[in-house]
Amino acid sequence: MPTATPNAPTSSRSRTVRFAIVRCDGPGKPERTELFDVPVEPGANIISCLQWIAANPVTIEGVRTTPPTWDSGCLEEVCGSCTMNINGRVRQACSALIDAVSPSTTPPGPGGATITLEPMRKFPVVRDLCVDRARFFRNLERIKAWVPVDGTYSLGAGPTESPDHQATRYALSTCMTCGCCLEACPQFLREDKPEAWDTSFVGAAVISQAVLFNDHPTGATLKPQRLDVLSGPGGVNDCGNSQNCVKVCPKEIPLTESIGAAGRQVTVHAVKKFFSGR
Amino acid sequence: MSETAHEAPAKQQPFMQRHHFLLRRLHSLTGVMPIGVFLINHLLTNSSVVWGMIDPKAGKTGHGGVATFQHEVDFIHSLPYLIIIEIFGLWLPIAFHSVLGVYYATTGRANNARYPFQDNWRYTLQRVSGYVGVLFIFYHVATLRWGWTFLVPGGTRWSAEYAASTLAQTLRGHASGLTLAGVGVSLFYMAGVSLLVFHLANGLWTAAITWGLTVSRQAQRRWGYACAGLGAALMAMAWSAVIGFATLDPVRARLVEESLRSAHRAEPALTAAPDAAPRRP
Amino acid sequence: MNGSKHRVIVVGGGLAGLAASVRIAEAGLPVDIFSIVPVKRSHSVCAQGGINACNEVARQQGYSEYEHFDESIYGGDFLAHQPPVYEMAHWAPKIIDLLDRMGVPFNRTNEGQRDLRLFGGSLYKRTHFAGATTGQQVLYALDEQTRRYAAEGKVTKYEHWEFLWPIIADDGACRGIVAQDLRTMQIRAFRADAVVMATGGNGLIFGQSTNSVMCTGGAASRCYQAGAKYANGEFIQVHPTAIPGADKLRLMSESARGEGGRVWVPAIKGPSGGWTRHPDPARDPRQIPASERYYFLEERYPKYGNIVPRDIATREIFNICMEGLGVAGGNMVYLDLTHLGREYIERKLLGIIEIYRKFVGEDPAEVPMKIFPGVHYTMGGLWTTYTPKPDLKGMTLGAPNSMMCSVPGLYAFGEVNYQYHGANRLGANALLSCIFDGLFCGLGVANAVRDAKRLASDEPQALYDRAAEQENAKQRRLVEGKGDQNPYQIAREMGAEMTAASTVVKSGPRLEQALAKIAELRDRAARISLADTGMWTNQNLSFARATADMLTLADAILRGGLERRESRGSHYRTDFPERNDAEFLATTVAQCNPDGTSRIAFEPVPKGIVEPRKRTYGKKDDAPASKPADAPKAPALALAAT
Ligand SMILES: Cc1cc2nc3c(=O)[nH]c(=O)nc-3n(C[C@H](O)[C@H](O)[C@H](O)COP(=O)(O)OP(=O)(O)OC[C@H]3O[C@@H](n4cnc5c(N)ncnc54)[C@H](O)[C@@H]3O)c2cc1C
Ligand code: SF4
Ligand code: SF4
Ligand code: FES
Repeated sequence: MPTATPNAPTSSRSRTVRFAIVRCDGPGKPERTELFDVPVEPGANIISCLQWIAANPVTIEGVRTTPPTWDSGCLEEVCGSCTMNINGRVRQACSALIDAVSPSTTPPGPGGATITLEPMRKFPVVRDLCVDRARFFRNLERIKAWVPVDGTYSLGAGPTESPDHQATRYALSTCMTCGCCLEACPQFLREDKPEAWDTSFVGAAVISQAVLFNDHPTGATLKPQRLDVLSGPGGVNDCGNSQNCVKVCPKEIPLTESIGAAGRQVTVHAVKKFFSGR
Repeated sequence: MSETAHEAPAKQQPFMQRHHFLLRRLHSLTGVMPIGVFLINHLLTNSSVVWGMIDPKAGKTGHGGVATFQHEVDFIHSLPYLIIIEIFGLWLPIAFHSVLGVYYATTGRANNARYPFQDNWRYTLQRVSGYVGVLFIFYHVATLRWGWTFLVPGGTRWSAEYAASTLAQTLRGHASGLTLAGVGVSLFYMAGVSLLVFHLANGLWTAAITWGLTVSRQAQRRWGYACAGLGAALMAMAWSAVIGFATLDPVRARLVEESLRSAHRAEPALTAAPDAAPRRP
Repeated sequence: MNGSKHRVIVVGGGLAGLAASVRIAEAGLPVDIFSIVPVKRSHSVCAQGGINACNEVARQQGYSEYEHFDESIYGGDFLAHQPPVYEMAHWAPKIIDLLDRMGVPFNRTNEGQRDLRLFGGSLYKRTHFAGATTGQQVLYALDEQTRRYAAEGKVTKYEHWEFLWPIIADDGACRGIVAQDLRTMQIRAFRADAVVMATGGNGLIFGQSTNSVMCTGGAASRCYQAGAKYANGEFIQVHPTAIPGADKLRLMSESARGEGGRVWVPAIKGPSGGWTRHPDPARDPRQIPASERYYFLEERYPKYGNIVPRDIATREIFNICMEGLGVAGGNMVYLDLTHLGREYIERKLLGIIEIYRKFVGEDPAEVPMKIFPGVHYTMGGLWTTYTPKPDLKGMTLGAPNSMMCSVPGLYAFGEVNYQYHGANRLGANALLSCIFDGLFCGLGVANAVRDAKRLASDEPQALYDRAAEQENAKQRRLVEGKGDQNPYQIAREMGAEMTAASTVVKSGPRLEQALAKIAELRDRAARISLADTGMWTNQNLSFARATADMLTLADAILRGGLERRESRGSHYRTDFPERNDAEFLATTVAQCNPDGTSRIAFEPVPKGIVEPRKRTYGKKDDAPASKPADAPKAPALALAAT
């Protein structure tokens, strides 16, 4: 047991915070909100509190309920699992420190420290805070988000690259498919029917991935196919330039620059296609 | 299993999807050209009721903005094939831009309560300004161009020969003064033109991203300043036009116009207007 | 799918699983990947520092694949089999090239070459890196290739599916698995001609660790319970530098030291050269004069300094704190980057310092970081075999038994495989071993399946129905359990006990005590009652099931540690502080008894091409530095579960 904990920048005493969790038992089931009072230590985050609730699933009314369900993995904001709406804003739960999300030290109750947790609204809810982001992955497949290498055989090194170019690609390549940018996008709407996915807006992350792979010498061999998707229904033209995506991206990926770059590529692609006849 | 690919439907895509790119880009293009260009021009013309007062030429004759405005209107009405230009250069593009715009606006769902960022407010305002703008343009064209006077308080019919006085009268509600309904019309004009100016300036900003002219954050910011500057200038024109007409005394304006008409008839050589013959509204 | 009557199942979609899938699919066999989480979210994303391989620059400075091999063997205290390590070191440059071709954005030099950094256990720069999220970048590259194969129908992903049990036919070979859809909770049996386990490590057995939440070791434990042997379980790597946290110990990558980070504690140097505690515990580290900073790693290991291998660094940091020299007298030392300058830090280490900023709220470019050791990597794993080349310099490519478990047809790749790292893994060798397993041994799996005499499609349906029913029955018992035990409580107690008894320092009596505790928890686990008995996305159920499986593995880990009466690599026994090659230059092989306890045997490490030598890393004096103070009274790690 550590005798000393690292100096937490904020409060140093434990306190109680009320959690209002939007719950749903499964697809098509009604939603309800349950309240839990959680003792919070300095440095705690949303996931550590959810873990506490799962081990003690008793609401403030003293009613025993089922442990809430949520997705998590790395707990260091790199896997993209734990996206949810916290106090109405989408973000990663694992990096949401309680002291930052709810600095109020007033005890729970009306006007006191309350944190609401709500699932992402742009994806079908599986249960409680778990949603199904399959559409996101399907879109990565549609834009052929890969470098078409010849195989795993030993064929020498890849192309050399300037440090600046690497830095640009690296920034885009850190996208962890969390979906924050989609949740906050006014143009990305919930679509539960897989048949409709291929014509609904792909969202900022997917546009940005297309730009990433178009920017790789070998990846660029699939550029025309990617641009066909991006110029079609649900492509980059559906973006309304509200620029919410770039503000909520936890990885601070320059999504609006990717959108501009995709716009340019699609424009050039259309002109080329017009004059080459295909 | 959730991520396994599913077969794309083989059936022919609907029209909107087949021509998605073309329609999207035409929508964007028509907003800039001809609609944007026309709007700038139109505001320039209409604000002449104010800047005409400082026009040294007009000042000398003592006719002020009314004369300059009339002069501008006369010029437009002197263009050959005006109706063709209007239909294909203006009404159709506006109709196209409006119908598609309204349709595209339904593909989004504003979320400003949760994400009250400045850019996001502009996103929502762009759509609201589009809706209101369509209504306003319809009212504006219907009452002034098509002569739907039953929509005009006071029933004034706008006339190209007496451009300033009749316009002022439609805004004010009555020839002799500002009526309550006139205040309403004037405010509607104020809101309508303001929103349209915003719509154009912000639309220019987003179009640059859509077409890929501004890619980097800095470029987007810089172009943003340029659009804001243009918007401010247009806003100044728009407001001066509306305020100019809403405060113009139609009776006195009519006197200026009559004097212009008689001057035309008396000394046709004095004006460069090729269409000197009076036209009935 | 593509007309083949063969099928291969890969369980796990981390680096090892994806590399294997890509390789096997490329060889023309259809692959089904099972993973609890979408493969792109596998634990491999967490790896930060980099991936080792000999390269041209290092080669011209005197480094070579052989050197890489030798370092790894030496770093692993000679417990690793040498032919696989030799092969891996020689494949490393090719693997880097392949990743490079796949588009991994490795950091670059001005000339556009791949940049390199220094990592623990080597004097050469031989670690390739992509920002501070190398694992993420490499995993994504393989995820993308897998997506491509999936789009072509050659790979089928079963994501949000949990592996429950290997299906073993009457000839003793594995011919399929039972798995559960974690959403619908449907349990199903799947046929396969080979099953590759690539399920990663088991950090969760120790409560808090640097691992992701799904790293329970449950899958490995189930294979172990089904008859597969488990090897070297007692070798657990405790990373010297982790950030203590409420839910997880977040890793501060070794690259922080590789790039010049210095470890120190505030202290006063006595006239005789010894260091003692400073009377004021609350000093701002920035105000402490250079003369009152004790750079204990640099002083004790002048040659390697701050980049001594992990086990040594861990023990030194641990000891310093036990001696009362920790920051403010607590369990913490400083890891200082401030002298490197903000620009350099942000360019080279941005990703990892962001973790610190985000989760601690302080800026490492301004203030030294506070760190303490945390459980990090599982050197042990499922026992596997291979075919060495006759001269012992490498393995035979394509041999059907490449990294096959003691159950034929069952393979173990990646962290769940016990090979390559011996008694201690060198930093940035894990990513390499995972990808190497997948690429090199994947071919062996493909060959084995193509040459198989008996196929899964020939097995009777009854075999599969029975296996699925068995799992259903187990689940019913769990769901209908009316006991008084909470699985989260049991897991917490297990974590605390394992951390206290079986990490940095161990002793016979303490291990026996822990075994008793685990036995008690096992009894209690039989009386679990679930807070959720529904049959839709029931995480409570999965967790309870994994808890029982973790207890089984915990027993093997403890008993291995108890019977290994020596100290080697990460395994340090206060009662047997020396390495004992005469008795224990041997693999610990555990087998599971029906009651969940284990029996241990030792299997000599086959002779290789280098002879065991003393592992000192040029330590200055052999005096007490690396000898821990007596076993701590209280559970001593920052990671003790709360
Ligand atoms: C914080 C951190 C930093 C690291 N940094 C480095 C580094 O810099 N360099 C380096 O070389 N190594 C590093 N490592 C080690 C390295 O990351 C791991 O050893 C490696 O990623 C393991 O990969 P894997 O493919 O074996 O397993 P994992 O990536 O752990 O994947 C396991 C897979 O198995 C699946 N799975 C597990 N159980 C089941 C089940 N029951 N049913 C179905 N699927 C299941 C999971 O869903 C997952 O897809 C680091 C480790 C940590 C924790
Ligand atoms: S800029 Fe485009 S993609 Fe980003 S949030 Fe706005 S509409 Fe969505
Ligand atoms: S772009 Fe950012 S917000 Fe969007 S999915 Fe990727 S990491 Fe998440
Ligand atoms: S758990 Fe991985 S991003 Fe939060």
